[in-house]
Amino acid sequence: MGLEFLTRVRRASLLAGLVAALLVATASRPLHGLALFAGLAWCLVNLFLIEKLIVAATSPDRNTMPALVRAALAIGGMVALFTVGAVLLMRLSAIWLVIGFTFPFAVIVLKAVSLLILPSKFWRRVTGSRWRGAALVALLVGAAWLLISSAGGASQRAHGAHAARVAAAQQAGGHEAKAEAGEAEETGPQKFPNVITVLHRALPGAPWVQFLHHYEAIVFSLFIALMLSLLAFLATRNPQSIPGPLQNVVEWLVEKLYDFVVGILGPKYGPRYLPFLGTLFIYILAMNLFGLIPFMDSPTSSLNVTVALALVVFVYSQYIGFRELGVVGYFDHLMGNPRTFIGWVLVPLMLPIHVMGELAKPISLSCRLFGNIFGEDMLLVAFATLGVTTLSFAHLPFGIPWQVPFLFLALLTSTLQALVFTVLSTIYFLLMLPHDDHAPEAEAQHAHAH
Amino acid sequence: MDFHAALGLGLPIGIGIAAIGSGIGLGGIGNGAMQAIGRQPEATGKIQLNMIIIAALAEALTIYAFVTMFLLSPNIITK
Repeated sequence: MGLEFLTRVRRASLLAGLVAALLVATASRPLHGLALFAGLAWCLVNLFLIEKLIVAATSPDRNTMPALVRAALAIGGMVALFTVGAVLLMRLSAIWLVIGFTFPFAVIVLKAVSLLILPSKFWRRVTGSRWRGAALVALLVGAAWLLISSAGGASQRAHGAHAARVAAAQQAGGHEAKAEAGEAEETGPQKFPNVITVLHRALPGAPWVQFLHHYEAIVFSLFIALMLSLLAFLATRNPQSIPGPLQNVVEWLVEKLYDFVVGILGPKYGPRYLPFLGTLFIYILAMNLFGLIPFMDSPTSSLNVTVALALVVFVYSQYIGFRELGVVGYFDHLMGNPRTFIGWVLVPLMLPIHVMGELAKPISLSCRLFGNIFGEDMLLVAFATLGVTTLSFAHLPFGIPWQVPFLFLALLTSTLQALVFTVLSTIYFLLMLPHDDHAPEAEAQHAHAH
Repeated sequence: MDFHAALGLGLPIGIGIAAIGSGIGLGGIGNGAMQAIGRQPEATGKIQLNMIIIAALAEALTIYAFVTMFLLSPNIITK
């Protein structure tokens, strides 16, 4: 405790306040984030000055001249601070300023509570077992979500009621045609119904269903990531020298991916980038195949997910360029490695071409994956609709499953597109890595020929 | 001819033209790869990998047309 505790509070609240200010600036208006941070800074500087004043007033040499000067400086600083604060109060939104001002106090309270909790017997019992700790975290997250959704529900209720009315009107209008077609969705091109759209139609007003419906692709992709993490955890938890079935499959997959990536990138760079590229392949494959499970949806049939994946690859390949080539080497690479006079003459031509080529990569990657998976879904929906309309004279609740042959095609394209995405990412990495000869495309073909 | 009719006529034709182009490209790629495998069967794996990459590049052009069609097709219907 004491002054060291105050220093820790200052550091923790500065970091947490920065994160909170950034969150508020993105979620709300940027000015609100600025106000939060200004309030935080105000409070911290105020605390700092008070601390200086108390130290100067209680130290043993408090009657000497330097201590008096320090105390006077602290008081003068507080007066100046109040002036600045008054100006801030007039300029920025007061409520966010107040929230920022109370932020360090919240940190102090939390830190004091944690000082009480951490040595207690309860805490030692909970953290003694991994499962009990996970259960506690899950409980806390669930409670926080319930609190937030019940607080947000009141403000969203009007909005939700409006949305429900609109959905009801749309359903009433398009009911005839959609009942014929068998599968229906409110807006946009039709897709197969999945768990979330079914929930959304059953409970259109509930805030948590609206949340799920809004972030449908993200929810599914997070779910898949969770499943894959669980699978990896289970497969590597207890490794045996004679592997069981699960460990066998995972080891086979990792070995294949290792051979594949090392075959393209070479033994020096291959193992370094294998974790990223292998994860990319497994994740995209799982996401593509997920849509073939009834009442599930491929997250990759939404452009948002594929753009995110392609942007990750883009940023990472630029980072590799900077790391492996250096800043000078990176720009040298972008200028087409000019070594001769002709090369330097061609720089104004080569630089835009290379820059545009770099920018075109994420666009083509994301559009290819999205188009293939989305198109595959559309094909299945079209043939399922055809099957229902074929039997429409009999007024049956089902149709002929014309889409079954195309499910095998979908299996093929799902695997192929995951492979293509990974191969192209690997080649983009390869083009960024240092080469022996200064012709990237020739190097790529060279590496493949071996 | 108004905008909607032009779009309704043009989109399927555009998809068809894109499909013809990438069909020709894929045919050439498959032709070359099969001949290469026939001449050197032991290099099948590597040739197939390269074939798949180039086929994906050729196929992507049709996919772009397809995505464009899906982006524009809601505009065909007159309100």
